[in-house]
Amino acid sequence: MKGLGNVIAIELKLAMRDPMSAFFALAFPAVILWVKMRNGGTLPGGLPTIDAIVPMLSVFVTGLASLVVLPATLAQYRERRVLKRLRATPASSTMVFGAQWAAHMLLAALGFALLAVIGLIAYGLSGPSNPGQVVLAWVLGALSLGAIGLLLGAVVPSGRAATVVGLAIFFPMVFVSGAMSARETLPESMRSIGDWTPMAPAVQAIRAGWEGQPISLPALIVMAVIFVVAGGVALKAFRW
Amino acid sequence: MTVIEINGLQKNYKDHKVLDGVTLTVGRGEIFGILGPNGAGKTTTVECASGLRKPDGGTLRVLGLDPQTQRRELLQRIGTQLQEAALPDAIKVGEALQMYASFYDKPADWRALMEEWGLAEKRRARFASLSGGWKQRLFIALALVGNPEVVFLDELTTGLDPSARRLTWGLIRDMRDRGVTVVLVTHFMDEAEALCDRIAVIDNGRVMHEGSPNELISAGQAANLDDAYFALTERTV
Repeated sequence: MKGLGNVIAIELKLAMRDPMSAFFALAFPAVILWVKMRNGGTLPGGLPTIDAIVPMLSVFVTGLASLVVLPATLAQYRERRVLKRLRATPASSTMVFGAQWAAHMLLAALGFALLAVIGLIAYGLSGPSNPGQVVLAWVLGALSLGAIGLLLGAVVPSGRAATVVGLAIFFPMVFVSGAMSARETLPESMRSIGDWTPMAPAVQAIRAGWEGQPISLPALIVMAVIFVVAGGVALKAFRW
Repeated sequence: MTVIEINGLQKNYKDHKVLDGVTLTVGRGEIFGILGPNGAGKTTTVECASGLRKPDGGTLRVLGLDPQTQRRELLQRIGTQLQEAALPDAIKVGEALQMYASFYDKPADWRALMEEWGLAEKRRARFASLSGGWKQRLFIALALVGNPEVVFLDELTTGLDPSARRLTWGLIRDMRDRGVTVVLVTHFMDEAEALCDRIAVIDNGRVMHEGSPNELISAGQAANLDDAYFALTERTV
């Protein structure tokens, strides 16, 4: 993987220079945090809302970066023949995927960090009870959602189409999976649909790690399987 | 010494025969021109040779390598400038060179290359802000950043103003003087006449004529390559 670090750094800079990407990853989740915290309070069960909402929104921002921003970037690169030029170099498709994934996940991690800082300063967020588990759950979530994003970016024809498809997948999913409204507050019917979405295991595992609940092994396995399957199909389906 | 050897190259797009037995050889250190009307198969020939397309028949060796089965190895040793390729809008000139250099095992010093090709003043300029001439100059530098032995340039000067074109010619000669073999696809007869050591005229997927500009001019009993081209391809203006 020659020069992968180099490419990741440049792709991250490109993402930060794009006002849309920067808005989606950094500003938008912060605004949602503010809207959600205007009522403050506690969740059914007594957990302070902020201690649920920051882990939830970490999945929200990762989902946005994975399912909306990443596929749009990749599809736009194809549309504009950026990929065609890359294909004439020794860079491999795995390298292109790895760099895109890593750059967008770093963007999401920045968004997550920003949410945590705002949470700590403005809303008295408690630190994660089990930081190692939060990191593990977040990385698996980023891998599984990122692989789905790469698959989208591999098959959609244009950047515009990628944004439309990405948003059409992202928004219903955040609502039912508990990444935007806490699972405890969702109607049972919605929760049972949401549990089937690829965001649900990430939300559950990250929240569990933050609150100090035992980690759910099936959730981690589901994420790993999604990563392997979606990532494999994406590599197969990829066109330069 | 032969650097590119193409023998009976075939390529079909659906029912249409784009290449119908292209045969040509390019020697080391040459500037080799590929001329011909639109749709003649020039770009397809070059894309097959640089491993971007899979031929349907014939044999093809570049630096002794098969562009299909030994693609990775070949891509380390050739440079390419494609028609209508692009870079991300927001990438800066310096970043593009640095990134492309990182793909190769033995890259050129991208900073030195940037100086040599006069791109240093544009180092921090974004790709989208560059004029056509600057973009082409960057594309040449990117084609050279891997320290290639063979460079494929596809319609490099199309869309450039006359002075930028002249400037680019100088750059292509510099390349050849450093020992790089240059394959140049072009529509411009004056360009081919000024630059090329040898030329192949391709039409209907075949090489119709091959030789030095002077050989083609005498074969066409013409005063210059432009007239010779039309005499040889039996086309009227």
